[in-house]
Amino acid sequence: MIDVNLIIEKLPAFFGGTDGAPILSTSEGLQLTLELLFWSLLAGLALSIPLSLMRVSRNKVLSTAVWLYTYVFRGTPLLVQLFIIYYGLSQFDWVRDSWAWQYLREAYACAILAFTLNTAAYTTEIIAGQIRNTNHGEIEAAKAMGMSKWLMMRRIVVPSALRRALPAYSNEVVMMMQSTSVAGLVTLADVTGVARRVFSDTYMPFEPFLTAAGIYLVMTFGFVWLFKKAEGRWLAYLAPRKH
Amino acid sequence: MNQNQNSTANGGNIKLQVSDLHKSYGSHEVLKGVSLTAHAGDVISIIGSSGSGKSTFLRCINMLEQPNSGTIAVTGEPLGLITDKRNGALKAADPKQLARIRTKLAMVFQHFNLWAHMTVLENIIEAPVHVLGISKDEAIARARKYLEKVGLKGVEDKYPSHMSGGQQQRVAIARALAMEPEVMLFDEPTSALDPELVGEVLRVMQDLAKEGRTMVVVTHEMGFAREVSNHVIFLHQGRIEEQGNPKEVLVAPKSERLQQFLSGSLK
Repeated sequence: MIDVNLIIEKLPAFFGGTDGAPILSTSEGLQLTLELLFWSLLAGLALSIPLSLMRVSRNKVLSTAVWLYTYVFRGTPLLVQLFIIYYGLSQFDWVRDSWAWQYLREAYACAILAFTLNTAAYTTEIIAGQIRNTNHGEIEAAKAMGMSKWLMMRRIVVPSALRRALPAYSNEVVMMMQSTSVAGLVTLADVTGVARRVFSDTYMPFEPFLTAAGIYLVMTFGFVWLFKKAEGRWLAYLAPRKH
Repeated sequence: MNQNQNSTANGGNIKLQVSDLHKSYGSHEVLKGVSLTAHAGDVISIIGSSGSGKSTFLRCINMLEQPNSGTIAVTGEPLGLITDKRNGALKAADPKQLARIRTKLAMVFQHFNLWAHMTVLENIIEAPVHVLGISKDEAIARARKYLEKVGLKGVEDKYPSHMSGGQQQRVAIARALAMEPEVMLFDEPTSALDPELVGEVLRVMQDLAKEGRTMVVVTHEMGFAREVSNHVIFLHQGRIEEQGNPKEVLVAPKSERLQQFLSGSLK
């Protein structure tokens, strides 16, 4: 039988509360999961736009370099990437001596760095694919209007590609949200981390992990709903006419 | 509808001059020295069977295709051309000059080529605001003026994909007009349209011709070539086979090729 009382008793911990302290008194649980997700998605998206332009560039050196990056990060498990950054970087004296060490010694920053590099790799390929799919006629129209290459990219190609990337990107966001659960393996108390702590405190596996699963499921619904809204707004031009 | 009939003969203000244009795809030469002069107010129709090079010629004028040799000048300003090392054809020596010249040569495409993610209004004000640098308010006023001219009302916030082909092409014409170009290039503007939508686009083009706009039109519409244009060029296998006043050339063609071509096409 599942111990419902245990679930209720421990629920605040998943929302950043400690025993006897109110929800959100710490930045653990859901808040930490959302923080890791937010910063890595933001940085990942910001990186992926210039990277995708380099990826489709006619310059072979640029496009091959970006291809290599996305291939490595899409071809290896996120957990391995996180371990390499969290445990591996400290081996190098020059890393420990650098200004970045004050951040890289923290699991929090390492997790955000690993997640950012991972999601940027996938997002770069999603956007680059949509840039390549841009209707050639629309590019010719931009040229014929006297647009410079840069203006055409900024005003026509990238805005159009980003819109068309939305459905694939919503999958990436949901996958990334679930992937943040590996943060618990480098000491962080995200939703999964809290569940593991409750498990080790109580030796009850079902209740904490079911709670965690429920939280992830609700978040997934939330993101799917948000992206449906966004597609309704930004992809209206692909919808069938309403009259 | 014989306006501007004699402007070519009269000389006058030369808007576009293209000389001895050659273009090859590999070893296949599609343009074997084609020239064209458009004076202010000229409406020049370019006709010919598919594969004659007529669209390629039009697309070389604004460098959407790279010619192998020849010269192009717009309102007296020659376009600087140098050899492109990648393919041996010609490319613009100065991309900024090409961009400036392109703003004077608005193009209307067979497949409209409207920017699908933008509304009608956004499509029309885009280049005036970001290429010509006029204010957004002024661009919107222009857009409304030209939408009215092409006979469209209440479509400003629609997306192109939600309109008929004829409406989309008229938006594309309004977009070209909003650049207030010196010369308008039309690349088979009615070829992708359902037959019942062709008329609405041709009527708009006829109105533009009446206003004295300078137009170069690649077309299969013999009625338009005969009634609206004041000069017709018949291309065959990359050469000008015959050209002149459409009333003469199309009614009494001298060359055998043009006779064959005209007998094969419905009036």
